[in-house]
Amino acid sequence: MSSLHRHAAIIGVYTTEQAVCLLRSSASLQLEAVRSALAEAGQPARLLDGLVPLDPSPWGTVPSGHMYWAEQLGERPQTFLELGSAVGGVAKAAAAVSAGLCRLVAVFWSRTSDPGGPPADWTASATDDLILGSPPVHGGDPLAMRALWTRRYMHEFKVTSEDLARVAVDQRHKARLKPDSIMGRLGELTVDAVLASGLLRDPLHVLDCPGENDGGYAILVASAEIAADSKTTPVWVLGGAEASGPSLYAAGPDRVPLTDGPVRASADRAFLAAGVGRDEVDVVGVWDDSTATVLNTVELMGFCGPGEGAQYCRDGHLSLGGSLPANTDGGMLSNSNCGESSGLHLIEVVRQLRDECGARQVPGARIGAVQAQGYGTHTHAATLVLAAD
Amino acid sequence: MPVVLPSAASPYLKPLPQPTARNEEFLAGLAERRFLVPQCQDCGDFNWPPYPACRSCLSENLRWTEVSGEATVFSFTVVHRGPGAFGAEVPYVIALGELAEQPRPCLVLANLVAIDPDDAAIGMPIEIAYEDIPSENTTMWRWVPRAG
Repeated sequence: MSSLHRHAAIIGVYTTEQAVCLLRSSASLQLEAVRSALAEAGQPARLLDGLVPLDPSPWGTVPSGHMYWAEQLGERPQTFLELGSAVGGVAKAAAAVSAGLCRLVAVFWSRTSDPGGPPADWTASATDDLILGSPPVHGGDPLAMRALWTRRYMHEFKVTSEDLARVAVDQRHKARLKPDSIMGRLGELTVDAVLASGLLRDPLHVLDCPGENDGGYAILVASAEIAADSKTTPVWVLGGAEASGPSLYAAGPDRVPLTDGPVRASADRAFLAAGVGRDEVDVVGVWDDSTATVLNTVELMGFCGPGEGAQYCRDGHLSLGGSLPANTDGGMLSNSNCGESSGLHLIEVVRQLRDECGARQVPGARIGAVQAQGYGTHTHAATLVLAAD
Repeated sequence: MPVVLPSAASPYLKPLPQPTARNEEFLAGLAERRFLVPQCQDCGDFNWPPYPACRSCLSENLRWTEVSGEATVFSFTVVHRGPGAFGAEVPYVIALGELAEQPRPCLVLANLVAIDPDDAAIGMPIEIAYEDIPSENTTMWRWVPRAG
């Protein structure tokens, strides 16, 4: 009896020249293959929102490769990202299409004997820009790029330095309620103290930004059967989604991801998958690689409108006792920034939902959300919606 | 008239673009006081930063094309703690300038010079300026304020 499933179909196929030795770059073969399969299907490249690069190596590591393709396809977020073999890749891509994570997925491969050509002198991220050396040749770095984005955000939505400083003050206060936080022991902050901490890259002050420290973590995800047999209160993953965009520096029709982009794409899909409304969220972990990121991320997650983050914070929503306590351990700004710190935001929300947070506990927290970014603010975003029953 | 800044002093201790086959034409353009941007020969869109294929249509048929050099400040930052040899130059400005050429907006990163950092503002008109670095046999591009 044949399957009745008709949720995903293969609509385009293409093979490049196959030869013992092809004197062409991997990049060019992949571009030709993706472009030509789209042409066969009669679909434009701008519809692609899912990628299975069977060999991401021309573009660097897995997340870097996704950043390259997100920019190459027109600075649009890619909402399904996968690796594997072609057959497994199609199986998973079909599952992703059925689940609504994406609508058009490219599964693609190349191999070449050509030792030259990309990747050596191209880059997976326009922020690195190996062609022209930017930003280092202008005395820039990732923090400077974040500062450029922050200034534009402040300009577009009339956000002040005091608005940003308020985030740092609030998160330091929370960190003081977590005994092992790194910055909590340094004491409470004030808006004036943040502004007086010195400009690093205008408009970002020292205390607008996290430090860096060592540390590790692990998170176990299990089936319901194993969860029932475990010693802890299960925290259920109601839904989650990921979206990868290009670096901040990329130019495009939506020039900066202030109102759209990977953060919103991942949050919208996660809440839809979870079947949870924004107003049901009791506690949230929000990527905080700067104070400005916190305000903008709360907007992009849909908790308030574009540009309303500063007022939302001023009204106390993000503080303990507010309607949406955020980063209750102090976050990267005041708890710990150990490299891939989204795991820490996630673990703090899990602990809140298990009622393990003591002095900083959000009473009765039952539904939580976590938002992570990486590789340069907004670039590689993911959202999870969690619940403890 | 292209704007030419005074040549940089020797030794020049800041990083520079590494000349490669891929950027050779662009760097040669700077010496000739031309700012070249890859333009897609299939759909006409400009692409910046230079990338393997057109961001609008995925064509690899891109050609370095001279642009006007005119732009407006899209955003900027003032660096107060600079890396390496840039440390001696703080405070200095890094600006993203949106080129006049459309429809695909090109945001070009460069130092904004010949201006008090306190006077930098989003929306101000700027243009490309050329700074020769004789000791390195190369030319860098910068932003300067533009009348208009």
